Amino acid sequence: MSIKLLKSLKLHKDKLWSVDCSKGLMATASSDRKIKLVNLKNLDFQLVEELDDSTHKKSVRSVSFRPHSSILAAGSFDSTISIWGKDEEASIEDGYQETELLAIIEGHENEVKGVAWSHSGYFLASCSRDKSVWIWEADEMGEEYECLSVLQEHSQDVKHVVWHPAMHLLASSSYDDTVRLWKEDADDWECAAVLNGHEGTVWCSDFEKSESSLRLVSCSDDTTVRVWKYEEEDENGEDIWTLESVLPSVHSRAVYAVSWSPDGYIASVGSDGQIVIYTEDESGKWKVIAKQHEAHSVFEINTVQWTRVGDTNLLITGGDDGCANIWFFIP
Amino acid sequence: MSEFINENPDILDENLLPSRKEEEGDAFQDEALNTVNLLRRKRLLKIHQTTACKVYRNVELIDRLKAQEMALDQVPDLTASETEESDEGEPEDPIDAQEIYDMIAHISDPEHPLTLGQLAVVNLPDIEVSESNDKSKISEVLVKITPTITHCSLATLIGLGIRVRLERSLPSRYRITILLKEGSHQSENQVNKQLNDKERVAAACENDQLLGVVSKMLSTCK
Repeated sequence: MSIKLLKSLKLHKDKLWSVDCSKGLMATASSDRKIKLVNLKNLDFQLVEELDDSTHKKSVRSVSFRPHSSILAAGSFDSTISIWGKDEEASIEDGYQETELLAIIEGHENEVKGVAWSHSGYFLASCSRDKSVWIWEADEMGEEYECLSVLQEHSQDVKHVVWHPAMHLLASSSYDDTVRLWKEDADDWECAAVLNGHEGTVWCSDFEKSESSLRLVSCSDDTTVRVWKYEEEDENGEDIWTLESVLPSVHSRAVYAVSWSPDGYIASVGSDGQIVIYTEDESGKWKVIAKQHEAHSVFEINTVQWTRVGDTNLLITGGDDGCANIWFFIP
Repeated sequence: MSEFINENPDILDENLLPSRKEEEGDAFQDEALNTVNLLRRKRLLKIHQTTACKVYRNVELIDRLKAQEMALDQVPDLTASETEESDEGEPEDPIDAQEIYDMIAHISDPEHPLTLGQLAVVNLPDIEVSESNDKSKISEVLVKITPTITHCSLATLIGLGIRVRLERSLPSRYRITILLKEGSHQSENQVNKQLNDKERVAAACENDQLLGVVSKMLSTCK
């Protein structure tokens, strides 16, 4: 079992905060205020496009592709969310089609830290230092956004939001050391559960990609990575989630991101510059199967994501060196 | 400045702050002080009770200028060695606590016309460096700061100034942790959490107003 560096792409002049991949395309967000698109198909790794960098006045913190489309959402410290896409109706004869700014969404009081599209593409979630999570409903073109709900139960900034891969279930991670789960109830959204246990800011979480079980992995400033399991709904309609396991302790500093692969591996990255990959031995028992030191030389790693290109599983990391590193993982 | 959060901080004499012995130009110059100068300073101190007063400062400056003049006469090539900037210096030199101290002790306090070293907000014994010999590995720096009063609302700003200074001065392999010294502040945990949250620090550094204040604090760094 090993991790092998396939390609290191120096894309940004400053911290690379976030990556998202969809349909063979990778988007990256950085403190240099730029968003870049890179082609992953055929392991080509060529820079395709640089989106208009006059759009955001501060760091771009997070990017997310809308499923089944080429629409991209980007959240920025300038408190806005930009929406990008291609005019699908324009003729393809002109060759390559430029990505255009479709909309700017305003609403958050200050830094937007996370954006995420639901699997259905109906909803966009965003979170901010203003302690709130917003749920937006988008039209098909991705041009009109209506705010359905402003969720304000977190007591501190909300660092990250992620949707379940098949349900309208949202997880938000916060500086208040908790993860909250949100679901739709009649016409509104409500908090379904609070996951308490981390002893520091929760930076990121990700759902298990499984139809048979409902679990979430979270990572924190407390250097731990934890797996939480949905048990049942109690008589008040609240979901009961329990801590299933604390993954083997490897990281020596804050863990900034986790990603759960479709085939069941969890990858984590953080301030100590390590990539760690865990596998489940038996139900609820995890072990480390691969580690990579100095994965971005001496720099911190902010983001990690599994993606599949053709028949190849890739792991993508982004760091303070402004690089997106693309790794093979051979189980 | 109208209202101070701390009206009466204790102040250390800049010359008494810890510094590297072999590079101690100041000590050398102070040795050149003659007894008359010393007596004059002592008398001034009796009147004002503090080394912060203007007259004392001016006298001290004049003394040092004089001493420098004398030194120049004795060591003709002093200017040459002084202009030699450490910019292109040997990158092999390990960084120690004294070097970190020198980087941050001259940061100005946001409310007093004094440095963090003079106010004993930063102190040499409260700096730890765990240096890896291998330059391709991560090294760590821990700085514990002591606000002048336990309810100092500027503690976060001071910590931010120190962090910005160190991030700009140290190579990327250093992970910087800034903590309030145990028991030195009533909202210790809250301030510590904020000072070590990379995202909040990054956002603060994009806030022009805040960055202006920090730049002003850093303008006195040598």
